Amino acid sequence: MSKPLKIKLHVNGVARELVIEPRVTLLDALREHLNLTGSKKGCDQGQCGACTVHVDGERVLACLTLAAQVEGREITTVEGLTPDGAELHPVQAAFLKHDAFQCGYCTPGQIMSAVACIREGHASSDAEIREYMSGNLCRCGAYPHIVAAVREAREALS
Amino acid sequence: MNAYIRPTNLAEATKLRAKAGSKILCGGTDFYPALGTAQPQGTIIDLTRIAGLDGISVGPQEIRIGACTSWTKLIASPLPPAFDALKAAGREVGSIQIQNRATIGGNLCNASPAADGVPPLLALEAEVELASAEAMRRLALSDFILGNRRTALKSDEILTAIIVPQQRARGRASSTFAKLGARHYLVISIAMVAVNLVRGDDGSVADAKIAVGACSAVAQRLRALEADLLGKPVAAELGRSAEARHLADLSPIDDVRATGTYRRDAALLLVRRVIGECAKGASA
Repeated sequence: MSKPLKIKLHVNGVARELVIEPRVTLLDALREHLNLTGSKKGCDQGQCGACTVHVDGERVLACLTLAAQVEGREITTVEGLTPDGAELHPVQAAFLKHDAFQCGYCTPGQIMSAVACIREGHASSDAEIREYMSGNLCRCGAYPHIVAAVREAREALS
Repeated sequence: MNAYIRPTNLAEATKLRAKAGSKILCGGTDFYPALGTAQPQGTIIDLTRIAGLDGISVGPQEIRIGACTSWTKLIASPLPPAFDALKAAGREVGSIQIQNRATIGGNLCNASPAADGVPPLLALEAEVELASAEAMRRLALSDFILGNRRTALKSDEILTAIIVPQQRARGRASSTFAKLGARHYLVISIAMVAVNLVRGDDGSVADAKIAVGACSAVAQRLRALEADLLGKPVAAELGRSAEARHLADLSPIDDVRATGTYRRDAALLLVRRVIGECAKGASA
């Protein structure tokens, strides 16, 4: 076991201090140390996308990122998409409207990925949405509804 | 993991690297997957805060890609047409989430036989720049990757940049990449091909570079085929020049993704198809 590190993470606009082993991933830091359990642990090896969060606005996999690596960066999780008490983010609203999930486990990752996908300008057609959302697996197979939700959210946000 | 260190300049990083038992971390997308269930050991040197290792500069003689440049940044960079295969390969490295973090340097240092970046960089005749506390050296990419997960990187060195010479042959360059997987996205290659062609003013092949990946421990150039293409008219039929004998030096294996026999067949078909596509690009 290695010496614990004291790091400061900026999560959803709040500076949080934590003492962790350097091997702790961002996903474990969020879930186990900061009690932010919205980001899900699906495969824990970078294949499913359930742990997708934003680092400085870019979507990344929290399970492959060491928490220590993103010290000082701006981290956004599904809990921080909208300010406390605010209405749903347009992507969240579109997922509800289109019933874009079944079990819901992949949904926070899908939503974080979709927000970035639209912001990147990679949601101009259904084919493009499918390609640029391909890093988020849904084992319930809600894909057609997810594409519909992303399409509607893109229109709402443009 | 005994320690995690995040140096802010290269001198500091190479000094740390000179001590025994260090491991380099950059995008980190293969750090835990490569370990499996094992615990990380030794000192981890995180390169992500070193200025100058991230980014691309285009000079008159060569193009320099910092080792910590992400695939997303490379894809978005204005680069000559000869880099189209490399960009296309980048778009098939895992998901966007992976492309945002994973780096070109990491792709080379991991030295997976199925590394998507290697065939396009071989077709560009890329070199790597390696720095230690004592010296800086350059090595052809083909001399850097030695085998499955094996490179010529010494234990005190850091890969700092990938250097690509500007195109020397006169004419119009075109560059194409194709990867065969069991599905379209998020897939590890069964076989992949990168082709760079230059169409001379007379409409014939002035230069050809062809590399095949995932069909041998290290991706390989098809030099006999490259020589046979020279002087031929650049047209969609150019791909038919490729024959099984041109791929004789490949050594595809049987694994979970495909059999060796299938890989060999598929690679030939891919080579023909990608040459044809690339020829169309050079004459359009």
